[in-house]
Amino acid sequence: MEFRPILSALMRNKAGALLIALQIAITLAVVTNALYILKQRQTHINRPTGIEATADAFVIYTRVFRNDINIEQLVDDDLLKIRALADLQAVTPIQSVPVSGGGWGEDFYLSQDQSSDQSVGFGNFMVNQDGVEALGLDLIEGRNFSTEEITFRSPVETVYPRIVLISKPLANALFPDGDALGQLVYDELNSPHPTRIIGIYENMPNAWPNATMFENSALMPQISASNDVRYWIRAKPGRRDQLMTEVEQLLGLDRNRIILGNRTFEEVKARTYRNDIAMVKLLSGVVALLTMVTAMGIIGLAWFSVTQRRKQIGTRRALGAHKMDILRYFMIENWLITSAGLAIGIVLTLALNYFLDTNFQTGRLVWYYIPVGMLFLWLLGQLAVLAPARKAANTDPALATRSV
Amino acid sequence: MFTYYVRLGIKSMHRNPILSALMVVALALGIGACMTTLTVYYLMSGNPVPHKSDQLYAVQLDGWDPNAQPTQGPQDVQPQLTYMDAQNLMSAQTPALQQAAMFRSSLVVQPEDDDAVPFQNSVRATYHTFFDMFDVPFIYGNAWTQGEDQQGARIVVLGKALNEQLFGGENSVGRDIRLSDQLYRVIGVIDEWQPTPRFYDVVTSSFADVASLFIPFKTAVDLELNPNGNVNCWKPLDDSTNAAFLRSECVWVQFWAELSTPTAADAYFDYLNNYSREQQGFGRFQRPINNFISPVMEWMDVNQVVSTDNRVLVRLSFLFLAVCVLNTVGLLLAKFMGKAPEVALRRSMGATRQAIFTQNLFEVATIGVLGGVFGIALAWLGLRLVENIYRGYQHLVAMDWMILLISMLIAVVASIIAGLYPVWRTTRIPPAQYLKIQ
Repeated sequence: MEFRPILSALMRNKAGALLIALQIAITLAVVTNALYILKQRQTHINRPTGIEATADAFVIYTRVFRNDINIEQLVDDDLLKIRALADLQAVTPIQSVPVSGGGWGEDFYLSQDQSSDQSVGFGNFMVNQDGVEALGLDLIEGRNFSTEEITFRSPVETVYPRIVLISKPLANALFPDGDALGQLVYDELNSPHPTRIIGIYENMPNAWPNATMFENSALMPQISASNDVRYWIRAKPGRRDQLMTEVEQLLGLDRNRIILGNRTFEEVKARTYRNDIAMVKLLSGVVALLTMVTAMGIIGLAWFSVTQRRKQIGTRRALGAHKMDILRYFMIENWLITSAGLAIGIVLTLALNYFLDTNFQTGRLVWYYIPVGMLFLWLLGQLAVLAPARKAANTDPALATRSV
Repeated sequence: MFTYYVRLGIKSMHRNPILSALMVVALALGIGACMTTLTVYYLMSGNPVPHKSDQLYAVQLDGWDPNAQPTQGPQDVQPQLTYMDAQNLMSAQTPALQQAAMFRSSLVVQPEDDDAVPFQNSVRATYHTFFDMFDVPFIYGNAWTQGEDQQGARIVVLGKALNEQLFGGENSVGRDIRLSDQLYRVIGVIDEWQPTPRFYDVVTSSFADVASLFIPFKTAVDLELNPNGNVNCWKPLDDSTNAAFLRSECVWVQFWAELSTPTAADAYFDYLNNYSREQQGFGRFQRPINNFISPVMEWMDVNQVVSTDNRVLVRLSFLFLAVCVLNTVGLLLAKFMGKAPEVALRRSMGATRQAIFTQNLFEVATIGVLGGVFGIALAWLGLRLVENIYRGYQHLVAMDWMILLISMLIAVVASIIAGLYPVWRTTRIPPAQYLKIQ
């Protein structure tokens, strides 16, 4: 109804309107693409780990630096002392930590006469009989290790133990028919050492979040007899921080080793995903600042045009226009400019996405990001123009009579 | 005349302080964001050894699993060598001026003072040639000798910071130091040295600190130090011994050669191919021969040292700057249109278009300079933020003169783009129309 006068007024100041429209267009392109990348990262970071103990677990990394230390004795002593602590739920030695970024990758072979590219890779985690409880894994088939089955493994030992627990995804990769339990797997081609799968747990990722086989993991009933002595410790609910201090003090008494780190599992994850978390933060910053600058631009220009047109507004008011009419005028004007900008913006968004995807493999934008982004910018425009429009609406009609 | 324009400009900005502040803030934000991402990009893609980068070559030999994917280019070949190949090349007479094999490990430093707590430190095990090839500056002493390489002597070269910490920064050459329960004699102390990227080992982190301990390769191997990095194996070991690990097909050694001329590079490349053929004769290297030698900057490309995230952020931040500039153009345009009656009056009193242009340009320039200065301040803050939220970026957030120069250039270009059209528009104002309603 009021489009024509608004449009013709806009045409008198084409440059200003065009500039706002272009800003809106680029803003749409950047905001939708940034949000899309951001969402992908968040999904990547928050993949389920299957480790029930997430909030109560921590890892203490120590290194023995004297040569004449019997590691087996030292680990046995450590375990006795740690188990005596009241806040403890369960403790296991562990040579590599899930999601930590560093670990042991190994392969299982299905039979003794396969070519090597048909093996299945997985992350190997050496734990004792309390590993399943300490990690909080859901053992869905078979049984856990027993105390007598735990052995020490020398750092250069390559032969796998006789029994193993594996994750459900690894079981499915090895035996797609779902009959992995009780089957034999091998550590190499023509190996004389079969390993039996005695249990399957629901899920526990390995150490490498960017690997395609992130879900493939196995627990081996072993304790690494190397100088790097590490424990995965699960505290009673809510007692983690106290227990961390207690264990650190306890192991810190030993003058033959140093404590390299004492990290909650949440910290381990945050370290691994640090770059992704940083990207999420920086992209959020870009989106927030860009939104702010665009809003500032809209407010600034609208404010200015209101000041410029005070006399005309006063005249309209004197001629009988309601406050509501003036308010609506500026809202509609902004809506028209924003819509024009968004129309250009859709093209820009797709172009930017194409460019980013072909050059940096950021992935193809999911379509609904565009309408959501448009809705957001429409709202932003209307909100930004609200204050200047209200100022316009409050213009005194008497202004029209002055100084003409 | 100039001071008059200055006063006019300041007065004009005073008249709409909020609008002027908005413009400065918008420009500063855009410049700050661009400079933050650009600084990181500039340092990530920098040349770590400018005067020698075309003479130092990373060496790759393709002795991988015959059943694995075929090789297209250097990015498909393992970036490290087996211990065996590294040994063979180090001990051979090759066309290279010098070569260095190396790997990263860690040792526990035990200070003499019994109260001091021992701490772990990263160590680079390499050959004496490392220091000369990479032009490592020494404060005290020297690199070790070829003889000490061959005998696997217990000697160590210290980094400057560690020497400060252990010996108060004095000349520690000849002193002993205990590392993981072994005594080593200090043979040299190097000065501040942090090539960025840390080009000779990009397998783990390309921007990490240089190790503060250097020991002979053979010493590390004799003591069975674990490589701290990637160990990749395609073939099972013969048995569970360290000797089997050393003669395995596992790759874990970085290898560099100094080839001073293109002719030398060709000759060395031929040498490697002959070596591969020879190894094929022994039943190793069962793939087609696919060896590569890459000079430093090519090697940085092959290993994608500049992170994709950073490249994306640079693009987005420039679009952000574009929005900020558009914003400023719009605001300036509005503001100068508001000055139309004043301009009309000046014109009718005889001011030329040229004079109007210069007058208003001053105001635009002030906004540009302020935007630039605040932008650099924001970039500094942005870099502190980047340093904080990333790990191992401490060498990627330093502003040098080059960066400041680029910042100022971007600020000037941005404000000229932002200001020219609005200023030009003011000179086109028809005086009569505005004078009528005055």
